[in-house]
Amino acid sequence: MGSLRLKNIHKSFGSVDVIKDVSLEVSDGEFIIFVGPSGCGKSTLLRIVAGLEDATSGTIEIDDKVVNAIPPSQRGIAMVFQSYALYPHLTVRDNMSLGLKQAKRPADEIRESVDMASNMLSLNEYLDRRPSELSGGQRQRVAIGRAIVRQPELFLFDEPLSNLDAALRVNTRLEIARLHRELNATMIYVTHDQTEAMTLADRIVVLHDGRVEQVGSPMELYNKPDNKFVAGFIGSPQMNFIDATEFGRKDAKTIGIRPEHITVSRESGDLKGNVSHIEHLGADTNLFLDCGSAGLISVRLQGEQDFEIGSSVYAIFDADRTYRFDENGQTIVNV
Amino acid sequence: MNMARQNWSNTFAAHAALITYTLIALFPVFVILINSFKTRKAIFREPLALPGADSFSTIGYETVLKQGDFFLYFQNSLIVTVVSLFLVLLFGAMAAFALAEYRFKGNMLMGLYLALGIMIPIRIGTVAILQLMVASGLVNTLTALILVYTAQGLPLAVFILSEFMKQVSDDLKDAGRIDGLSEYRIFFVLVLPLVRPAMATVAVFNMIPIWNDLWFPLILAPAEETKTLTLGSQVFIGQFVTDWNAVLSALSMAILPVLVLYVIFSRQLIRGITSGAVK
Amino acid sequence: MPDPIDKRPPRRWHIAVFLAPAVLVYSAIMIFPLFATLNLSLYTADGQNQVFAGLDNFRTLFGDPRWSESFWNAFKNNAWFFLIHMLVQNPLGVILAAILSHPALRFSAFYRTAIFIPTILSFVIVGFAWKLILSPVWGIAPDMLGAIGLKSLYAPWLGKEAYALTTLSLISVWQFVGIPMMLIYAALLSIPDEVLEAAECDGITGISAFWKIKLPLILPSIGIISILTFVANFNAFDLIYAAQGALAGPDFSTDILGTLLYRTFFGFQLQLGDPNMGSTIATAMFGIILIGVCIYLFGVQTRLRRYQF
Repeated sequence: MGSLRLKNIHKSFGSVDVIKDVSLEVSDGEFIIFVGPSGCGKSTLLRIVAGLEDATSGTIEIDDKVVNAIPPSQRGIAMVFQSYALYPHLTVRDNMSLGLKQAKRPADEIRESVDMASNMLSLNEYLDRRPSELSGGQRQRVAIGRAIVRQPELFLFDEPLSNLDAALRVNTRLEIARLHRELNATMIYVTHDQTEAMTLADRIVVLHDGRVEQVGSPMELYNKPDNKFVAGFIGSPQMNFIDATEFGRKDAKTIGIRPEHITVSRESGDLKGNVSHIEHLGADTNLFLDCGSAGLISVRLQGEQDFEIGSSVYAIFDADRTYRFDENGQTIVNV
Repeated sequence: MNMARQNWSNTFAAHAALITYTLIALFPVFVILINSFKTRKAIFREPLALPGADSFSTIGYETVLKQGDFFLYFQNSLIVTVVSLFLVLLFGAMAAFALAEYRFKGNMLMGLYLALGIMIPIRIGTVAILQLMVASGLVNTLTALILVYTAQGLPLAVFILSEFMKQVSDDLKDAGRIDGLSEYRIFFVLVLPLVRPAMATVAVFNMIPIWNDLWFPLILAPAEETKTLTLGSQVFIGQFVTDWNAVLSALSMAILPVLVLYVIFSRQLIRGITSGAVK
Repeated sequence: MPDPIDKRPPRRWHIAVFLAPAVLVYSAIMIFPLFATLNLSLYTADGQNQVFAGLDNFRTLFGDPRWSESFWNAFKNNAWFFLIHMLVQNPLGVILAAILSHPALRFSAFYRTAIFIPTILSFVIVGFAWKLILSPVWGIAPDMLGAIGLKSLYAPWLGKEAYALTTLSLISVWQFVGIPMMLIYAALLSIPDEVLEAAECDGITGISAFWKIKLPLILPSIGIISILTFVANFNAFDLIYAAQGALAGPDFSTDILGTLLYRTFFGFQLQLGDPNMGSTIATAMFGIILIGVCIYLFGVQTRLRRYQF
């Protein structure tokens, strides 16, 4: 059991509105990711779910029970913090068991839970160490272990990977995905990294300026963005946005096309431009075309490709993969 | 308000405890100040009443200004405190820079030697300090006090400042060296401005004990023309102990300058103490 | 241009220049007199000449009942003075800091500023102010106790041998509680919010958060405050001198090592000043402080863990 329902959540700090009318339903066992640029309110929303902040208005329901006035420890949640927030004076074992001790659980039950969690995270040999004697990755696993031990309805992760280096980040990401499968628990995860969002989530919630821009599976967001913001936020390099008048089109304000949906030709195409820069990534080549009034267009080509800087080429758009946006940035759906 | 986390009765209890203690902390100061403006009769009849039209009197202050040279005392205290602080900061920062910046033989030992004085109070050496001052003819001069307070302040200053100087970026200093700055200019132009917050902390730690010290003024400079405000008020009150108006006024005159300075600088002072100088 | 054959690094005179002023002043005014004082305790005055006497002065101090009685009296009083500070000042400072550091507390800057005021006042002011307030002549203290129906509890505390030292210790606590309060407050603020929030998610809030999370993390600061209190208390002088005079009355019941040193060195009333015995007492104080500091450095500090957050 671990469903969550947010109804019309609103949060303001003084005169600043950080969350504006957010409603969301999360069903049991789902992996939900809040993603958005910094300052979009995603961490605040997570802290409201945890009970570390109060919503200014709106209700939070966990398992169909309103929890607005219930303290964090009784909401059935566990949280993994960005800085890990381990208790520096306690050993790994005590870090993991403190919450259960506080809840006056029997000692053998506590030991069992801790052993289960430490097996799952291969922390057995570190149980008697203090946090200062662990590496960053190990501390991260202890923080996750501390959450698992509580056997919560709802796991909350606040940018848990942002303090790890790139290689460790990939490993820990796989580990979290495995844990989600094994524990079959509901997880809510905040990140600004769209790769994490795309690889881990069942559904992604894209937040911008305190509002939900779109909720959907990773592929829905990629293929059917509701608006220009989501289209630009998901995908790397970013989607190209070109003023519709460049193509003499009257049915949209802006035309969008992802770099991977453009090919190039030396003879003819939709848009002519000069090669201004090339990035060789091995598997891919990123090409930047200066298209005059249409602006800088990025193109992602497969494999190794070579172009002379300054030479002129034509960009060919995959017509099925272009997006149209109106003056408010909303996607115009083809009927 | 935070429904899930706030607890009204706790908040109330916290304020009640703090208000109670604040009253205890301020009550004596308040009593002294209000009574210094009252007639002798009123002081005894209603010690807790504010001075009113019929009980107001400045007779005590008149006695104090006539009998004691409080402006001179105040000036002496000011000179001693300001000059000592300046020397502690200048000498302390220079030594701290040498210890933090350069690797040289005996660096560790020199650091330990200078740190000795943090834990050992300078008063232990008073007997020999007096002999030294007598021998060099510095008894009853402000110089004697300034030297003692400088020596007293240096150990902690060197310790705190060198911790902070270790945090100044090496790249910055190396950039200065590549630009041809001498080591002296690197210290005065690049490093000193960056450790200003730490210097403020050191100044705060030293200022109050120097201003309030009674021991060394009593021993090294008890002459009338070198009395500090602390010693001056002590002697004055001792002489006029039965003249309550004069005693209360003398106390108020010793309290007021410090209180005014404190109200102006309290934010810096408290920030200095809480800035983590003593971890 | 440096001579390419000369491989020695240039002499780094600037290091000496940076160190010289501090080292000179510190050595001449602090370290040299300290050792001169320790040395002086090994001599006695014979007319104008100083005669080496070995440990005779210490034999006198600890063996001659006239000296040893006053010394042990002062030492015992000093220990009580320190104990009151440890039992009242430091716990009170911790409690005030714990309340003040609560993030939702309003007016905390005002409380901090007000509670710190006594600390900035000189001993002279503090000593006389309390002397007046507690005085039976003025009657503020009995009247206030009377107002809450406890007038019978009043006694002229500073004038009674049994109460004077404790009263002065509490006055000193009143004056200096701001310092442990500020240092603990700073230590509490340095605990990251996320750690306290993690504790909150674990159900550890309020009092139990204090005992289980905050107190263990501020123990090193409490250790430092304790040793600072020890050193300050064992060379205290000013408050006693300002409130009770150099004789530390009534009948030496408030005499501590600082006042004993002062009287011995300068003499008082009929007793002549004696630099050699003064040095002997100063040396004894040095020993006491050294022992305390060593116990702290090797016995306590090594056991207190400091935490990096």
